[in-house]
Amino acid sequence: MTEDHRMADFMTKIEKGQKIEANDWMPDDYRNLLIKQIHMHAVSEIMGAYPEKEWVPKAPTIRRKMALNAKVQDEIGHGQILLRLAEDLSRPYGRGREALMDDLLDGHVKFHNVFHMPAPTWADAGVIAFLVDGGAIITQAMLLDSSYAPYARMLKRIVAEESFHMQYGESVVLALAEGTSFQRNLLQEAINRWWEAMMFFFGPRQMGQSAQKMMRYKIRTKTNEELRQKFINRYAPRLWALGMRIPDPAVKQDPQTGEWGYTEPNWALYTEMVRNNSGPFSQARLDLRRRAHAGNRWVREALNHASVKPSAAES
Amino acid sequence: MPQGEYLVYEVFVQRQALDFHVNVGSLRAANAEMAIQMARETFFRREEVYDIWVVPEHCISSSPHDAAHLPVHAMDKKYRLPRGYDNAPHWKKFKAKAMTIEDVANEMTGGGGEGSR
Amino acid sequence: MNALPPHEKTSWVLLLQAMADDEWIVAHRGSEWLGLAPDLEEDLAYSSVNQDEMGHAQFYYALLTELGEREPEQMVFARTASQWRNACILESPNGDWARVVALRYFYEVFDDIRTNALTRAPWPSLQAGVRKIRREEAYHLEHFATWFDMLANGTLESRRRLLDAILDMWPKLGDIFSWGEPDTFLSTLDLASLRQGEVQRLWEERIRDKLHRWQIAWPGSVPLPAANGRRGEHSDDLANLLGVMSEVWRSDETALW
Repeated sequence: MTEDHRMADFMTKIEKGQKIEANDWMPDDYRNLLIKQIHMHAVSEIMGAYPEKEWVPKAPTIRRKMALNAKVQDEIGHGQILLRLAEDLSRPYGRGREALMDDLLDGHVKFHNVFHMPAPTWADAGVIAFLVDGGAIITQAMLLDSSYAPYARMLKRIVAEESFHMQYGESVVLALAEGTSFQRNLLQEAINRWWEAMMFFFGPRQMGQSAQKMMRYKIRTKTNEELRQKFINRYAPRLWALGMRIPDPAVKQDPQTGEWGYTEPNWALYTEMVRNNSGPFSQARLDLRRRAHAGNRWVREALNHASVKPSAAES
Repeated sequence: MPQGEYLVYEVFVQRQALDFHVNVGSLRAANAEMAIQMARETFFRREEVYDIWVVPEHCISSSPHDAAHLPVHAMDKKYRLPRGYDNAPHWKKFKAKAMTIEDVANEMTGGGGEGSR
Repeated sequence: MNALPPHEKTSWVLLLQAMADDEWIVAHRGSEWLGLAPDLEEDLAYSSVNQDEMGHAQFYYALLTELGEREPEQMVFARTASQWRNACILESPNGDWARVVALRYFYEVFDDIRTNALTRAPWPSLQAGVRKIRREEAYHLEHFATWFDMLANGTLESRRRLLDAILDMWPKLGDIFSWGEPDTFLSTLDLASLRQGEVQRLWEERIRDKLHRWQIAWPGSVPLPAANGRRGEHSDDLANLLGVMSEVWRSDETALW
């Protein structure tokens, strides 16, 4: 079969809604877009663990502490699942886990803007679980329809775990909203810090070339603007119901079209932050990852080297 | 292995693209290619499937069946389950509706959704 | 448990508080490793171990409340360092992964001996809880025993780091076997097998075998420690830990979180 025929067959499959598997033939373009998307998704999950990790030692009740441990653990777990997919796709390039993780530390793969930002209070940890996870859930729910079957399959699992994150985030935010004026104030300030970053989170209305190609290949199925609209539609009314302000007077719904207005986030600022890892906490959190990955390389080498099977169960 | 015996292959099936593979049994075959062909008629005479894996039995490591090796949730783990949280009454106090992940998933994969246009 | 004679109550408090505080502090330090473990898979494994330990502490604190002590939340967030009864080694800051492996292996063997004795405790709800706890602990012990073997038998570097960790912590382990009081209180509970000397003997027997298997020289019997955490004698590390831990809780003590 010629390359053109293969490509035509591939596109017919995509258009019919059929799924592509890791070992199926795929155009390099499709593979590279998938690697880019899933690699970024994976490292964003891993880097997304750090802002909340900062609050694990300080969680103010026994149950919250256990739950936050479990939530941060899940983020790492999602990173693990997704990185495995990216590793499989990168096999033809001879690249595995170590190389893909090094890419993050060397700045060759970017992570989501929100995780470059400071989380100075317990309420920030709550708002991350509420709004950032809320946004991520919307994006990931869209990917359940992805044409790349291994991605869609693993997202089923990830979304199921996100269900706990959603309930946990709501629970923390509700407790603050129902709480003392000190707590309500903490919550409002955290919302003020995170709203603009959330508008940036979904990407520009005019999508870049890669994003458009991902739509054609049905790797993703909705536009940035559709996702952002779904997000505002879910979360703006709920924030108002809690008696919180949204720090953007332009957020209102057009009664005719149902479309939500919002002020454009500072695209240049956040883009620069993501591109250069130059946000207020980008480097500190990358240093944590470096400690984990490069700092523990000796452990992985030791395990690769250990020739004797460990002893059987302790008595 | 007694001389002349075929290898044992464990057979795993994925029924649809979005399912995970599950083990359905095992068979004997001279090699992996034969094992896949035999699996068709040994296990799937009556159904269509999406994918089949065969794995030589000796390549599978399995866990001993005791507490040290299998996940046990002896103590309460509701803190890490969605049903460990009951947010609906709290939302109600603020005159807002509780959300579930199923709502979001339905909305994003074709179904309707909150205030859908 | 209000029907208990007072001396028996005091004895149970002594026992359970040491166990609860050990489990809580070891889990708190363990949870500081989130996102920092040697690989992603171990990050998941270690986190679950620490969550389990928090659950165990929670169980023991609830029993302490039954005995008339403060509510679990108060026990965790409102006490000052001198009111904690955990062994000192557990509060010290995390070192490298070899230290985690050595400390957690040593601790899990110790906890195995301790909880094993309690499966025969003359207090049904404690006995039942401990049996559940031991189902989770069996995996913790297995996990760190495996890690111990792998590092001992890995590279020159992993072996050196493991030996350094062991030698460094050895002189600081002593109070783990102590109850902070003369052992006589144990006889009121019918738990003579938890006597300091007896627990230490069993522990040393098992650790000696393990070290021998990997040709690690026996550092000698664990000496008495300089400070005894079971008597509330702690390093500044615990005060620092508690300061961080209760920061949010203290910011508004009337609040529900």
